[in-house]
Amino acid sequence: MNRRTIFSLLFTCSILHPACAQEKATKTIGLKEVYIEGGRYKKSAEGAMSIDVLTSDSLQKYQAGSLMQTLSRLPGVNAIGIGASQSKPQIRGLGFNRVATVENGIKHEGQQWGLDHGLEIDQYSIGTAEIIKGASSFMYGSDAIGGVIRLSSPTELQENGLKGHVNLFNRSNNATYGGSLQLQGRNGNWVFGAGATHLGYADYRVPTDTVYVYNYAVRLKDRQVRNTAGQETSFQLRGGYVSDRFSSIFYLSNYHTKIGFFANAHGLEPRGVDTALYDRSDRDILYPSQHVNHFKLISRNYIVQDEHKIWVDLGYQRNYRQEFNNYTAHGYMPPVYPQDMTIPMNLERLYDKEIYHMTLKDEFALATHRLTIGGNVEYQRNNIDGWSFLIPSYRQKALGLFIYDQYPINEQTMLYGALRYDHSNIHSSPYQDWFASKLENNQSAHIVRADELRRSFNSLVWSLGATRQMGSWEAKLNVGKSFRAPIAQELAANGVNYHYFSYEKGNPSLSPEQSYQMDLSVALRTGNTYIAFTPFFNYFSNYIYLNPTSGYDQYYGAGNQIFEYSQSKVRRYGAELKVEYRPLTHWKVELLGEYVRSEQLSGSKKGYTLPFSPAPSLVLDLSWTPKSSTYFKAPYLSLDSKWTASQQHIVPPEEKTKGYQVLNFRAGTQVVLGKSALQLRLQVQNIFDTRYMDHTSFYRLIALPEQGRNIVLSVGIPFGKQNGDQQTH
Amino acid sequence: MQTLKKYALIAFMAASTIACKKDKENIDTEKPTIDISAATAFPKQCSQIRRGSSFTFRAKLSDNVALGSYSIDVHHNFDHHSHSTEVEECTLEPIKIPVKPFVLVKSVNIPGQPRQYDAQFQIDVPADVDPGNYHFMIQVTDQSGWSIQRGISVRIIE
Repeated sequence: MNRRTIFSLLFTCSILHPACAQEKATKTIGLKEVYIEGGRYKKSAEGAMSIDVLTSDSLQKYQAGSLMQTLSRLPGVNAIGIGASQSKPQIRGLGFNRVATVENGIKHEGQQWGLDHGLEIDQYSIGTAEIIKGASSFMYGSDAIGGVIRLSSPTELQENGLKGHVNLFNRSNNATYGGSLQLQGRNGNWVFGAGATHLGYADYRVPTDTVYVYNYAVRLKDRQVRNTAGQETSFQLRGGYVSDRFSSIFYLSNYHTKIGFFANAHGLEPRGVDTALYDRSDRDILYPSQHVNHFKLISRNYIVQDEHKIWVDLGYQRNYRQEFNNYTAHGYMPPVYPQDMTIPMNLERLYDKEIYHMTLKDEFALATHRLTIGGNVEYQRNNIDGWSFLIPSYRQKALGLFIYDQYPINEQTMLYGALRYDHSNIHSSPYQDWFASKLENNQSAHIVRADELRRSFNSLVWSLGATRQMGSWEAKLNVGKSFRAPIAQELAANGVNYHYFSYEKGNPSLSPEQSYQMDLSVALRTGNTYIAFTPFFNYFSNYIYLNPTSGYDQYYGAGNQIFEYSQSKVRRYGAELKVEYRPLTHWKVELLGEYVRSEQLSGSKKGYTLPFSPAPSLVLDLSWTPKSSTYFKAPYLSLDSKWTASQQHIVPPEEKTKGYQVLNFRAGTQVVLGKSALQLRLQVQNIFDTRYMDHTSFYRLIALPEQGRNIVLSVGIPFGKQNGDQQTH
Repeated sequence: MQTLKKYALIAFMAASTIACKKDKENIDTEKPTIDISAATAFPKQCSQIRRGSSFTFRAKLSDNVALGSYSIDVHHNFDHHSHSTEVEECTLEPIKIPVKPFVLVKSVNIPGQPRQYDAQFQIDVPADVDPGNYHFMIQVTDQSGWSIQRGISVRIIE
């Protein structure tokens, strides 16, 4: 199947389907899964955007190795993964610093630019995940140019009491054992919540004995990807006061992970390893590896004063990332690590980033308009260390001012408008190599990799939207302009990434990315059918892109290929389709499709796509939800098949990726035991142990297949007062 | 269910027939190649080079459109870090600590954007460098930025 086929199929289906769906009087069945709900967002600024919502219940139902892999079942959402347990978000083909992840109102900040940097968030701590597809710069500023992943802690209890659940889980593929405890309490207006998760896993398994890193054959012991084991430990604590007129809640969390990288390929570079050492245990973490700690403290507050609701959000984060590796001299690096170095010998890179954030906003009604005005300020400090250099240390300040308006024309039609101004400035520090390189004049010198750089950026963006309800149809249209300020790496990178055979060169004169977009959403909801078709069009007048040139740099780049940040015009379009159809009370058919196409319209890669373009895909799911019985509540069985087309549109240094089909099975039920009920869940992912490669995976470039068969088992044990809904919705 | 399946199938078939035409690709998606199979090519996997002597690197480079540049990098493999891209394994000396390893980094722009190019570059190996296992990395780009690497294991002998 080529991508055009799938696109046509999505389109044809979306047109044909209403005609063939029979009107059946069915009542709504209680399985709350993925849904787009018009009403929910009608009164918020993002009302005209296409939004998917997943509750903690569905997150557990579709649980994969990492949060983004769990969310990637949603059409238009992909994970840029590294191995089985780390991944970062991609929305409609845009990822890295083009997707903002927002947790409890504050933008999550790590080292988003790095291919091998996963999202530092505990997937078991999340109450609700919302995915806003399409540019949302008008709400969240720079970085939200591709979309937003908005995560919230579980909503507070409505009644007094203390309750919680323990969730124990096991994944067979990489022998993951983990447990998570979530606790919630309330006493009058005082609310409380806490959580803790710990999990550990072994090297993951792929359906192959040998991986060919270029032509270098790497034999895998027991089909396990050498040294990809890891551990994850996190905790959360929240508490505060809630009433209709006033609320103040703090959220404290810490996430820590320790994970190994595939030992035979650091980046693209094939590596010989001491197999006796590396294969001794599949649970030890040797070099190369990364340790990441993310600490976060957020305070969210609002006060209602007459017609005004005033919000104050404060946030502090610290992202501490260490990348370890055996010292290996490349290029002009000294063959033996000098004894007088202050940098530890195994510390390849270190990034230490602190972020302070404050948002102030006022929501109020003015005649029939519902207005929000506000602003936010952010300060970032990023320090580096390690014997390998990619980006310099920097300080960054940003200020944003915004106004949104919602204006109902009539019962059915709502208009949305937004205007936002942003100012940011970045000040990056100079950096000089700790070792001497040979220069053109045959002299030896410690190369200055980065000069001190100061840049500031201003942007004015806007957005206009409308929603209209027409019987069981709902249409949304949003047009707007978005921006993204260049990041330190794009402006000031000047280093050899030996693991990619590349010499990355920043461009200090880059201008902020500007993007114009149009998003449409047409949805139909009848008794037994829900269909949503969400096409989009997007034009970048200056997309920032790491361009592999035809040159090598002998002096600054130690003979590696020059990859230079440059800007080009880019056109992107695509669509997602979601169909839910309930032919019978206990049966549901679900169809989820996505297609995205990007094309560079200027520059030296004119005609090429953008890196990591996801291939078109289609998920067909059949679910059976038999009636609850005395002992088994809310049982479900489902089988889903995912077809992914081949990706033929590539850009150097990518490889074309073949299409594939993967089958997954899910089942679960609550087992009633006295007054409470155990939640049992089973998943068999990749049932046939299919060998395939994912175009958006980090390890795609070295032709490492994705995870093989994986059986995921989880048991949820509730305790405490169980009044009302156990889950958040 | 049945109706949906039927319609989905019809839609799918209809769509496939309409959409069989492949996108026309006028962009270059092919990598250049490095050919060291010729008898005159040097070095080859497990080649030996005497220190204090000179040799000429020779390889046949080609691309479907136009070549860009090439780069050679010689560094030691005394720690057995490997990253040879070749199938054949060469005998490795025991792991040792380098004293004065041979290091060479050289980048060359290929003139005239040809499709074929016989790369030749003379390399002098000083007499005082550490003998032992080395890597001879060859990298080639084409004008579109596609690149290819060959990591050849060689040995510098006394």
